Amino acid sequence: MVLLGEPMEAVESVAFGFMMPAGAARLPDGCCGAGSVIADWIFRGAGDKDSRQLSDALDGLGLVRGRSVGSSHIAVGAALEAGNLAEALDLYADIILKPSLKDDRFELARQLAIDEVLSLDDDPRHKVMLKLREQFYPSPLGRNTVGNIPELKALTAQISGQIIKDKFNLSQTIFSVAGKYDFDAVCRQIERLFESEPKEGGESVTLGPRQGKYTHIDNDGAQVHIALMTGTVKPTDEDYYNARVAISVLSGGMSARLFTEVREKRGLCYAIGARYHGLKEAAGVMCYAGTTPDKAQETLDCVIGEFNRLGEGISAEEIDRAKVGLKSSLILQSESSSSRAGAIGSDHYILGRVRSLDEIKDKIEATSVDSVLAFLRNNPFRDFTVVTIGPKQVKIQ
Amino acid sequence: MEFKSEKLENGLVIIGELNKSAKSAAVGFFVKTGSRDETEQINGVSHFLEHMLFKGTEKLSALEVNEAFDRTGAQFNAFTSEENTVYYAAVLPEYLAEVTELWTQLMRPALRDEDFNIEKNVIKEEIAMYKDLPSFDVMDRCRNLHFDGHPCGNSVLGSEESIDNLTAGQMREYFARRYAPNNIVLACAGNLDWNQICSLAADSCGSWQPQTVGRKLDHSRGSKKKERVEKANLVREHICLMSSGVSAQDPRRFAASLLGTIIGDDVGSRFFWELVDKALAEAASMQFGAMDGTGAFCSYIRCGSDNVTKVLDIVSSIFNDLDRNGITEGELTKAKNKILSALVIKNELPMGRLVDLGFNWTYLQQYRAIEGDVNAIKAVTVDDVHSLIEQFRPGDFTQLSLGPARSAGQ
Repeated sequence: MVLLGEPMEAVESVAFGFMMPAGAARLPDGCCGAGSVIADWIFRGAGDKDSRQLSDALDGLGLVRGRSVGSSHIAVGAALEAGNLAEALDLYADIILKPSLKDDRFELARQLAIDEVLSLDDDPRHKVMLKLREQFYPSPLGRNTVGNIPELKALTAQISGQIIKDKFNLSQTIFSVAGKYDFDAVCRQIERLFESEPKEGGESVTLGPRQGKYTHIDNDGAQVHIALMTGTVKPTDEDYYNARVAISVLSGGMSARLFTEVREKRGLCYAIGARYHGLKEAAGVMCYAGTTPDKAQETLDCVIGEFNRLGEGISAEEIDRAKVGLKSSLILQSESSSSRAGAIGSDHYILGRVRSLDEIKDKIEATSVDSVLAFLRNNPFRDFTVVTIGPKQVKIQ
Repeated sequence: MEFKSEKLENGLVIIGELNKSAKSAAVGFFVKTGSRDETEQINGVSHFLEHMLFKGTEKLSALEVNEAFDRTGAQFNAFTSEENTVYYAAVLPEYLAEVTELWTQLMRPALRDEDFNIEKNVIKEEIAMYKDLPSFDVMDRCRNLHFDGHPCGNSVLGSEESIDNLTAGQMREYFARRYAPNNIVLACAGNLDWNQICSLAADSCGSWQPQTVGRKLDHSRGSKKKERVEKANLVREHICLMSSGVSAQDPRRFAASLLGTIIGDDVGSRFFWELVDKALAEAASMQFGAMDGTGAFCSYIRCGSDNVTKVLDIVSSIFNDLDRNGITEGELTKAKNKILSALVIKNELPMGRLVDLGFNWTYLQQYRAIEGDVNAIKAVTVDDVHSLIEQFRPGDFTQLSLGPARSAGQ
């Protein structure tokens, strides 16, 4: 297990997280959604505590709990007042190492996961982004983290228990902590709690083909929810910061191009934006626009037009605004113990090391109009994967 | 932390909480106006006006405004509720003065006809967006049903029809009445130079003219009506329950928040154990919201159509049990721990601190240090919560459900 810590002087809180290599893309085929079930099931009793005793113990420490299922990991953790950290880690060791995994509790966790999938139909904006990842990333990287109904129905406690056994591999687990804590004491405690034999693992995922270019899901709602994505460089690439600045020119602040052209000048949308989305194996620019049916085609054409126009020229002022926006958001986020704990964990997984804030600032600072345009010449934003949900389809040029 | 305050002659209050160890600062204009201050004819104007402030002044175009903010790297935005419109920015300390100066200019906007006409489309898109979010739509409809004629039931966004009929002239008239300096608080928090902010505000805002501004402050007991609305494209049943509670001025608001957490926190609450843990509903939460002169408990539950009857029976039994047996000491302690750590973590960020600072002044004309709130929460007793239950009977609620058409036999 890797232990990462970042002390923060100005806070009284501490945040921690465990990233177990059991994300959606690492699950065996036919188990889509098992991650959601597992992330629920392991909290239904652990160690010598039943479900309610465990929950009461966590609440007694005032934990602000978090858990997520991503492409690569299941992450569990919390933010809390610094004085309660040791007790919280004891409880999380039980949750990870000694979950009760009772069969009747499994059925409840599975039923909730099925209901969450059904609920997505009433949340088209969320659904369209999940579908986009599924269509854009080579399989299984974009596998739906919420799940799909037939595979959830076929899932058993036995299969899920086996996944936990295989994938909660401590040798591949990343622990991160940020805020107010004593790193030596935390290390001693984690060693005591999690000491185990090294285990092989981390087998690479075999990538399949990308899915279709355009997918439409019919829904008689008020808007057409448009999601699109195009490939770009990974976080490990030397052009990563040029890509981030380019995307920021497109959709950083309110003076960025998408907001200005699509919303301010044309009034086509309320919600419009694009952002970088990176996994270890692949990355892209992910864009969302929601608009009423009659404006859907114009909106999509306008958005793609802005992607195409980016390589034709960017002003020095646009680059400066993009850079200051990226640097400022980095520093603002660095005041939160939760976001730091998450960031150092994900850095270590993707890059194999943790970047300092100064390193990131310097790399952003080193970009220029020329470097961003050169990047766009070599890596133009094209070949979009498009997904729409709503009462009307769009045409892809 | 050091608290500072100053009042300009025209009534504009400036408050600040200085924290030299923060890496950032936050600033916000808190305007005491929202949908409850609107009539039916101009419903939606507060929120529309919030959008229009970003469209610039006599000297600045909309694009120039956005560029000026983005040059500072500020994270800036605004939000409108039933009773407040808040404009804010979180920023690195060296840019705070520039961003504050920009906000002071925007608080006297041009409100141009051509910008108004384009933005009308954006507002209508926002209304459409929320129609596709039933979890939001159901609360909006339930609030309207609960307050039943009381202005707190007015929709923040307005309807497509009210927005279509709204004129720029009506908006200018509303602006002149409500954006008076004596109805606004300028708040800042974090690593900042207090004297600089004050002199800047005096220079930029000193000429604003005060107005006679007010607000009707009737308490509402709520209609307790029950309704169901069908929408063909929905899959799940979305249920909202509302009942009345204490106001933002009432010291019992802390007990009310704790009661909300005991009944309906995301995890470990009564709703959680009876509904979510048993997989009868995938979401069930309850929160207390204190408002000006009134307040409301609001619950949101989402489940499959098959489970609706069972879920509502359980909800009834949870409230009946609460009436008969009250809460336990253990439940109260857990709720306190949860609320206290969330409060402390939120207030570690200048932006989180700004919101509490501004609203405390808006509602109480009072500075409250975090320790004050922490102590008030710690001091709440089981008896305090019981007397609240007895007086407000949260089981006696207004109910609005939004769901698919029911097939025959259901």
